[in-house]
Amino acid sequence: MKLDKELIVLNLEASSKEEVLEVLGNLLTEHGVVKEGFIESVLQREKEFPTGLPTEPFGVAIPHTDGDMVHDSKIAFASLKNPVKFAAMGGSAELVDVKIVFMLALNSSQGQLDMLQKLVGLFQDPGTVEQLTAVSDADQLNRLLESKT
Amino acid sequence: MKKLLIMCGTGIATSTVVKGKVEEWLKENNLSQEVKIYQSKVSDEIGRIDDYDVILSTTLVPNNIKDKVIDGVPLLTGIGIESMYEKVLAEIKR
Repeated sequence: MKLDKELIVLNLEASSKEEVLEVLGNLLTEHGVVKEGFIESVLQREKEFPTGLPTEPFGVAIPHTDGDMVHDSKIAFASLKNPVKFAAMGGSAELVDVKIVFMLALNSSQGQLDMLQKLVGLFQDPGTVEQLTAVSDADQLNRLLESKT
Repeated sequence: MKKLLIMCGTGIATSTVVKGKVEEWLKENNLSQEVKIYQSKVSDEIGRIDDYDVILSTTLVPNNIKDKVIDGVPLLTGIGIESMYEKVLAEIKR
């Protein structure tokens, strides 16, 4: 599994989840992966259906929205210098300190859903989550993703 | 045949992940023949929730259907999977 280099942001300094979502959403918009309005749609959806996952040792978030906002199925990645709070997925109303964000631009194409399935496998291993927060360049990230999926 | 519904906010992302894992679990427990899986988004199902025997959701659901829905997030985080499957099994066997 590999992510496009231009859709990877490492050690992002952000003070809120909105900031992270805008940075990643802008990347996806600039590269023609998603339609105008994708960011607003993700922000709105995050309010209704939050995507923070309380994984160990840090939380992971997988923001996304409906497939009709998406041209190409791709995934953008950010590791955060300092954690930001996302609301937890599900009904718990907890807040999660997130250091890893995979922004999913997904339509229903099967390949990308397989990828999501593999990603979720990664999050369940604390060692891998730790490694994801520490990668220093895109190649290292892709090598890590390839070795684990 | 029991009807098991898996829902998320969009009906394509996390529900697909949960579906894959539940299918494996059903197979391992020799329950594949007893359960049929449906996948959907919450907003499409609110009006017909009583059609299903077991419901797993990765997202918040309205209060009026809350009691019928099992939280599927453990399958995404890896935390609390066993107790979640206990609830699913109880509903299948009910």
